[in-house]
Amino acid sequence: MKKIIFILLLSTQFFFAQSSFEKGNALYQKGQYEQAISAYNSVLASKKHSAELYFNLGNCYYKLNKVAPAIYNYEKALVLNPNDTEIANNLKFAQKLQIDEIKVIPTVGFSKMVHDFASIFHYNTWAWISIGFSILFLLFFIGYYFSQIALYKRIFFFGMFALIGLLLISVSVAISEKNDFENEKPAIVFAEMAFVKSEPQNASNTIFTLHEGTKVYVKETLENWKKIQLTDGTEGWIEKTAIKEVK
Amino acid sequence: MKKFIIAILFIMCNSLLAQIQFEAKASKTSLGLNERLRIDFVMNIDGDNFNQPSFEGFRVIAGPSQQVSQSWVNGKSSFEKIYSYYLLPIQKGNLVIKQASIEYNGQIYKTSPIKINVTNAVEEPKDPNDTQISADDNIYLVADISKTNPYINEPITVVYKLYFSYNIGITNWRELDKPKYNDFWSQNIDIKQLVGEEGMFKGEKYRFVVLRKTVLYPQKSGKLIIEPLSLDIDVQLPTNHRDMFGRVVVTNGNKRVSAGAKTIAVKSLPEAGKPIDFSGAVGKFDFKVIPSKTNLKSGESLDLIVSVTGSGNMKLFNLPRPVVPNSLEMYDPVHSEKVNTTLAGMSGKISDSYTIIPQFKGNYPIKPMQFSYFDLGSGTYKTISSPEIMINVLDGPSANDPVATATPGTSKNIISGSEQFKYIKLKSKLVSINKEDFIGSNIFYSLLFFPFLVLPLIVIFKKKKDAIDGDVFGNRIKMNNRLAKKYLSEAKKQINNKEPFYVALEKAMHNFLKAKLHIETSDMSKTNIQQLLLSRNAGSQTVIDFIELTENCELARFAQSSSASIQQDFDKAVMIISDLEKQIT
Repeated sequence: MKKIIFILLLSTQFFFAQSSFEKGNALYQKGQYEQAISAYNSVLASKKHSAELYFNLGNCYYKLNKVAPAIYNYEKALVLNPNDTEIANNLKFAQKLQIDEIKVIPTVGFSKMVHDFASIFHYNTWAWISIGFSILFLLFFIGYYFSQIALYKRIFFFGMFALIGLLLISVSVAISEKNDFENEKPAIVFAEMAFVKSEPQNASNTIFTLHEGTKVYVKETLENWKKIQLTDGTEGWIEKTAIKEVK
Repeated sequence: MKKFIIAILFIMCNSLLAQIQFEAKASKTSLGLNERLRIDFVMNIDGDNFNQPSFEGFRVIAGPSQQVSQSWVNGKSSFEKIYSYYLLPIQKGNLVIKQASIEYNGQIYKTSPIKINVTNAVEEPKDPNDTQISADDNIYLVADISKTNPYINEPITVVYKLYFSYNIGITNWRELDKPKYNDFWSQNIDIKQLVGEEGMFKGEKYRFVVLRKTVLYPQKSGKLIIEPLSLDIDVQLPTNHRDMFGRVVVTNGNKRVSAGAKTIAVKSLPEAGKPIDFSGAVGKFDFKVIPSKTNLKSGESLDLIVSVTGSGNMKLFNLPRPVVPNSLEMYDPVHSEKVNTTLAGMSGKISDSYTIIPQFKGNYPIKPMQFSYFDLGSGTYKTISSPEIMINVLDGPSANDPVATATPGTSKNIISGSEQFKYIKLKSKLVSINKEDFIGSNIFYSLLFFPFLVLPLIVIFKKKKDAIDGDVFGNRIKMNNRLAKKYLSEAKKQINNKEPFYVALEKAMHNFLKAKLHIETSDMSKTNIQQLLLSRNAGSQTVIDFIELTENCELARFAQSSSASIQQDFDKAVMIISDLEKQIT
């Protein structure tokens, strides 16, 4: 009996979240973006999220011309679903509203190829792929061990070694992707205007000024200050409250 | 009665006698050696043969001058004839002006002599009769300051007034020291024509002119000093001398006047409630941000005018700068000022005009702008916000058009013409935020290493299988053992049905023997079994029990027996089997 109640509770929570999402969509359609935002936020409050939810939130903020929250939510959606073209497209629209214009230094050469290859899948997907390889390896071994025909035996034998290689590659890619994910801390500037200092002190001189919506990468944290790097490679210290980390 | 008549007569006589008067009048009876004396001989008749006295000890510097006047009042005529002399004493001491005489109707009339005391020469300025006017007491320069404790950037005015009394004249003035207004922003208000006015000063009527008006905006708090203004003034002073036409002779003089240094205590603006974006504007203002148009094509330009109107320190603060998205290109502003400065301070309009050229199609907000100022009326800070302005770029070159990408490096922002802002996603699979990563979890590791752990097991299993497949004898024992167990358990199930119970029990026992003694069914005979069991070190009692039980099974199948005995037989079979198991080697 208790179990049934528990399941019922869980399912109502799930339906509640789902219905809030749909309620948000309906409000968005009517153009009531503020109310749509609160509906979507109630989904977030129930500890549920999805790329689509963040995407819709970003759309609401874009419609209200709130640059920083719009970009923030699009970036969050891209974290969950990095290969969605619609999210990337609307993010570009939002970025056109931002005030700062910062060049993106593209990575080139071998490292870019490796990185592109690694970012085809999410690291969890890579983990599943390596498990697949591992099981395939087992099957190949069984095939090798039990097959009676010499040709099959040979094929399975070499297949085993190939699979071991693939397994190692996929595991290392998964681990490095995860490390990248954890080390890369993108953040969005929320303050309308934020001064980036050369040292984590108010008295130190301002190197440049950032406006809301600009994407930065957090490198270090010291008390109320965060060391940030821009997409063009420049670095500086910014007050903690001025930015909001995406992850 | 007699007395009365005498008195009347006497009065009449007296009046008759008093009819002719002839007197000498001196302007003063005591004078300094360097002073002059006027003496008049006055008569009320027209006497002849005036004989002047000798004026011993005096020198006649003017006269005699004769003056005659006649007047009728109420039908009565009066007559006066005066001979006047101006005398200058030539010696000190008591001098006597002797008698003068006239003749009238044959009679001679004389004046009485006058004693004059001549003293030492007196200093001329101390002479009370000297009316020489000094410039010192008659000309003043005054600086009027409207407020001596203003706030920073609150306008104050300094008006320099030159007061001068009615009896002096001014012909020219020059500024010697122009006042310096250190730590003030100052503006002179031009005075086209000096206008003389009347006003009270030091309780007396004075004339004054306003020489100079200056509006000052203090730029620093604390005690500030306005340096004095000094003037060199050409003045005309009247003297006692008169020219031949009786006009006062004036002398030209020169006078330096200076308005003293003034101290002004400037209050700093209050820190409480000071807005962050406060740029020093003090006064009363209105703030407006007006775009020339909000709907336009890409490549067209629009002007955004940021203006402040009102009164205050208009020229002394900066206008806020608009913040626009990066796809609007904004150029440096054109600044214009229309400010009038009056005694009340500066007023008018200052504006910055920004030219903005949009680059891409779309809607772009220009952020609300804030302008803060210190309101002198209420003594508080006030902030005016402009509304957010939406710029709609209706159409124009598509964003990939190379013309539109004016700046390189915006390639990330290029949106192809077919790409539109995408609508929200309608379906979603919500997942828990706190979902743990699969990688690094225990499941991941166990799944990853499971196949490798299985490998040796497979090898061992294969080896074992091969071995088992090779051992035919052992397999048979195993099978019989299994059958024995199987039938025994079946017997237990059938414990209520007599016939199948005993069949199963018998089969179980047979299979047990087959497994233990490695014999076939054909070799099953009681004696054979007995021999074999005994040869394998089984207890003789147990062997007997076993034989008895097998026989019993055959009998009991057809005989009448209670359920209690069935249970007893089953227990017995279990006991015998377990005993044999232990005993057989």
